[in-house]
Amino acid sequence: MSEGEFRTVARLEDVPEGGLHGVEVEGTKLVLAESGGEIFALYDECSHEEFPLSEGEVVDGQVECILHGARFDLRSGKPKALPAVRPVRAYECRVENGEIQVRL
Amino acid sequence: MADGIMTRPETAGPVAVSESPLAEALNRLSDGGPLAERRRAAWAEYLSLPMPTKKTEEWRYTDLTKLDPESFAPLAPAGREVEPVAFDDLPPAVREILEGEGVRSGTMIELDARLARLDLEVAAADAGVVFAPLARIAEDDPELIERFLFSSDIAPMEKKLWALHTAALSGGYLLYVPKNVKVENPVHVMRWLSKTGALLSTHSLIVVERGAEVTVIDEYLSDDLGQGSLSLNGVEVFGGEGALVNYLGLQRYGSGVQHFTMQHANTPKDCTLNSFNVTIGADLSRCDITSHLLGAGSDSEMLAVWFGDGDQHFDYHTLQHHAAPSARSDLLFKGALAGSAESIFRGLIRVDVGAQLTDAYQTNRNLLLSEESEATTLPSLEIAADDVKCSHGASVGQVDEHQLFYLTSRGLTRAQAERLLVFGFFGEVLARMPVESVRDRMTDAIERKIDI
Amino acid sequence: MPKNETVAELGLDDYKYDFRTEDKPVFKAQKGLSEEVVRQISRHKEEPEWMLEFRLKALEIYYSKPMPEWGGDLSTLNLDEIYFYLRPQDRMERSWDDVPDDIKNTFERLGIPEAERSILAGVGAQFESEMVYHSLKEEWTEQGIIFESIEDGLKLYPEIFREHFATIVPPGDNKFAALNSAVWSGGSFVYIPKGVKVDIPLQAYFRVNAEQMGQFERTLIICEEGAQAHYIEGCTAPVYTTESFHSGVIEIVVKPNARFRYTTIQNWSSNMYNLVTQRAMVHENANMEWLDGNLGSKLTMKYPSCFLVGEGAHGEILSIAYAGDGQHQDTGGKVIHAAPNTTSMIVSKSISKGTGRSSYRGLCKVYEGAVGSKSNVECDALLMNETSRTDTYPYIEIDENQSSIGHEASVSKVGEEQLFYLMSRGLSEAEAMTMVVRGFIEPIAKELPLEYAIELNRLIELEMEGSVG
Repeated sequence: MSEGEFRTVARLEDVPEGGLHGVEVEGTKLVLAESGGEIFALYDECSHEEFPLSEGEVVDGQVECILHGARFDLRSGKPKALPAVRPVRAYECRVENGEIQVRL
Repeated sequence: MADGIMTRPETAGPVAVSESPLAEALNRLSDGGPLAERRRAAWAEYLSLPMPTKKTEEWRYTDLTKLDPESFAPLAPAGREVEPVAFDDLPPAVREILEGEGVRSGTMIELDARLARLDLEVAAADAGVVFAPLARIAEDDPELIERFLFSSDIAPMEKKLWALHTAALSGGYLLYVPKNVKVENPVHVMRWLSKTGALLSTHSLIVVERGAEVTVIDEYLSDDLGQGSLSLNGVEVFGGEGALVNYLGLQRYGSGVQHFTMQHANTPKDCTLNSFNVTIGADLSRCDITSHLLGAGSDSEMLAVWFGDGDQHFDYHTLQHHAAPSARSDLLFKGALAGSAESIFRGLIRVDVGAQLTDAYQTNRNLLLSEESEATTLPSLEIAADDVKCSHGASVGQVDEHQLFYLTSRGLTRAQAERLLVFGFFGEVLARMPVESVRDRMTDAIERKIDI
Repeated sequence: MPKNETVAELGLDDYKYDFRTEDKPVFKAQKGLSEEVVRQISRHKEEPEWMLEFRLKALEIYYSKPMPEWGGDLSTLNLDEIYFYLRPQDRMERSWDDVPDDIKNTFERLGIPEAERSILAGVGAQFESEMVYHSLKEEWTEQGIIFESIEDGLKLYPEIFREHFATIVPPGDNKFAALNSAVWSGGSFVYIPKGVKVDIPLQAYFRVNAEQMGQFERTLIICEEGAQAHYIEGCTAPVYTTESFHSGVIEIVVKPNARFRYTTIQNWSSNMYNLVTQRAMVHENANMEWLDGNLGSKLTMKYPSCFLVGEGAHGEILSIAYAGDGQHQDTGGKVIHAAPNTTSMIVSKSISKGTGRSSYRGLCKVYEGAVGSKSNVECDALLMNETSRTDTYPYIEIDENQSSIGHEASVSKVGEEQLFYLMSRGLSEAEAMTMVVRGFIEPIAKELPLEYAIELNRLIELEMEGSVG
C-alpha cells in the first residue's frame, strides 16, 4: 500500500480525553481516539456490521463498538472482542502545533 | 391541498414533501381522471407509512433509506388511446424484439409510459379476449377494476412501495381471457424507459377465467441512464378453476435504473400459475414474488435466473403461501455473479393450519465467479400442517475447478470454459422456459454480459 | 385409539423433575432489576471494582437495547416479577456430605453423586444463583486442570480470567447477554492446560428451585493448545404456576490444535424462559463441537456459535429439539468462517407434538479471504400432529467465492407406511411410534455419552424413548 501525505484532520482539542471524534477527509471516514495521552486514528466503521466506531467509547486502549460490543486495538486495529473477526484499518497519526495529522 | 388528503399526517416520518416534484405531480393526478380516488387514498397511505429500514427483516439486505422517491418525477400517465409511433422511430432494442421474436397473439409497447402500440390478434378478440390500457378499462368497466385492481393480499413490508406504485401509476394493462379460451401465442408487453430522474410505475392485471390459458411476457428495457430512474411494477394474476397462466418477467434495463417488481399470483382450485423471471439489468433490482395457493389442487412453478456483474445488487423475496390443502409449488432460482455484484435470495414456504397434503419445494443455487461477488441466501419454512412434503435447499459455490481443467485441457480458453459451465449451471432452469424464442434471447443476453 | 394419542406413551410429556425443596435462601435480593440489585450482588460476592463497573455498564446496555422482535413470544415475560439473585447457602462445599440435606436430596434425586462416583472427572452443582458444590478428581487436579465456580475463578485466577472474560460474548452483543453481564451469578470456570487430554467429561448441573427465579450463570472455558476435554451441563426446575427465567452466557476459547465438546441437556420445566448465548472462538486447526439437546422450557432461544478464526478450524453443531404442548424451541446454530480452509457442519433434528413449535434459526457466514471454506447444514423436522408447527430460517451470507456452502432441510410426518410395517412385525402402535422417533434422532443421540452420564442416560431414555412395553 503506497503511503500518502500527512493531512491535518482535526484540532487536538476536538478529541476529548479518553474519548472519540469522527471526521471525514476526502470521503474517508476516520475515528480519532485519545488514550493515555496518545492520539490514534482508525477507519470509522466496525468490521462486523458497518456501524461507525466514533459512536462507541474508549476502553483500555481499545475502541468498543456500541452496536454489539466488538472491540479493536487502537494501535493496530486488530479485533479484540467478538463478534468482530476482522481488523479495521489503522492510520499513522501525529500531533503538530495542536493539529492532528493523519497519513492517508 | 383543497381536501386536506395531501397533507401529511402529523405522525409521519420524513420531511414535508408538498414542494417535491413527486408531491406536485401526484397532487395534479389526484384531481381528476378515472383512478383519482385510488391515487389519493394510496398517497395518503404512502405518507402515513414509514420507509422500511434495514431493521425490517425483509429489507435487511437492501437499504431503502438510500432510495429517495421524492427526487423522481412521475411520468405522465398513459391515456386511453394509442398514440402510434412508426416502426422506424421505435428504440432499436424494441425493434429487435419485434423482428426477432416469433408469432405473438398480442403486442403492447409503452415508451416512457406513453402507449405507442397495442395489437391483439383477431381470433383472440373475437373469442372475447380484452387487452387494453388500464386508463380505458377504468372508464369503461369500473366494476372489473373495482373487483381486481390492487386487490391482492399485500404483505406489510411491501405496503410502502405498493402505495407509491398505486399513487404514481403511469401505465399498465388489463388482459382478460374468457372461459375456456386458449390464447395460442404469447402476449408480449415491452416497456421502454429513456428519461432520467423519472418514476415509471406500471401495472399488469391478468384475469384468466375457468379453463382458459395464456402466456404473458413483460419485458423492461432502457439505455444506460446516467442520473438514474425509478421503476415500480405491480403484477396481479387472477386465475379461474383449471386455468393456466405462464408469466414471464424479463428485466433488461440499462445502468442507473432501480427496479422494484411486486408480483402476486392468486391461484384457486386446480389452477396453474407459473412464473419465470430473468434479471439482467439495472443497478438495483428487487423482486417480490408471491404465489397465493388458495384452492385445492392449485399449482405454481416459480423459476428465475439472474446474472449480475459490476456493482449490481439483486434482491429476491419469494413467498409460497399454501392456504389450501393438496396444492403444489416448486421454486427453483439460480443466480451467477461476477464483478462485485451482490445477490440476496430470501424465500419462504408457508403452510397454513389445515393445508394437508401440501407439496412444496424451494431451491436456490448461487455461483460466484469473482472474488468480490457476494451471495446471501435464506430459504425459510413455516409449516403448520403435519401431512406435508416440504423441502428446501440452498447452495453457494464456484465453478468446478476440475471441470474447468478438463475443458481447458480440451483446447478451450478459460473464458470459454467458464461460459460453458455457467450455461451448464443455468441449463436446468432455462430448459423449463415455456417460450423457446425468449429462452434463446435471454441466453444471448447473458452470454453478452459474460463476455464483457 | 387414534394413532396420535399413542405418543403420550413415549413419556415425552410427563415432567419427571417436578419435585421441589423448601425454599429458604440465605440471602434473597429484592424482586425486579435495579442498580441497587446489581450492587448488592457484587457486594455479596466481594468482587473487585472493575467487575462492579462492568456490571453497571452492562445494566445500562441492557436498558438501552430493545426486546428482540424475532424468535419466540417474549410479551408475557415480566422481568419485574423475577428474583435476580438467591444465595442458598453460605459457602461452597467440596465434600458431598457437607452439602445441606435439602439441597443434597434434590441432587441425589437427579443422580449427581452417583454419576460422579462412577464416571465423571469433575462435578459442579448450582442451586439457584450459586454453585453449591464443586469437585474435581485428584488425578485431574494434578495435571493442572482448573474446574471452579466462576466466582472462585475470578478470585483465584484474576489475570487469565480478565484476559478472556467477555471477549467472546461482550455485554453489547444482545439484550440478554447484557442482562447476564449485569447480574451473573454462578457457573463454571474451566482451564485445560496445554496438551492435557481429559478423556471423561466434566459436568455441571443447574437447578432452579424457587418460584419466579431468574438464573444467570456465566461459564468461561479456556482450552489451551493441543488440549482436549468434554463438558456437560444439565438443567432442571420444578413446575410453578408463575414463570421463571434462565439467561446464561457460555464463553469458550479453543486454542490451536485443541478439541472441545460442550453438551447441554436442557430439561427446564414448562414455564421457564430459556434465553442463552453460547459461543466459542476456535483457533488454528482446533475443533469445537456443540451438542445441544432442548427438551424442556416454555420458550428456548439458543443458537450455539463457532467463530472459526484460525486456519483449518472446524466447528460442529448437533442439535435436537422436542417441543410438546405449549412449548416453543427456537434453536439452531451459527458458524462464522473468518479464516482459510475452515469447515463446519450443522445437523438439526426437531420433533413437534401437540401445539408445540420448533424453529431452526441459523447463520452461516463466510468472510472474504476464508478461501477453501466448506459448510454443510442439514435440518429435519418431524411433525406429530395437525396442530404442531415447524419453521426453518437459515441465513447464508457468502463473501468468498472460493468456498462451498450447502443447506438442505426437510419436513415430514411420522410415516404411516413405517408404522404399518413395524406393527405388522408385531409391535404395538406405541412401540412402533417410539421406534420411529428413536430412529429419527438416532444420528445425534448416538453422539451422547450414554455410557458415561447416568443422569443424562436416564433423561434420554425417559424423555425420548419412554417406558413402552
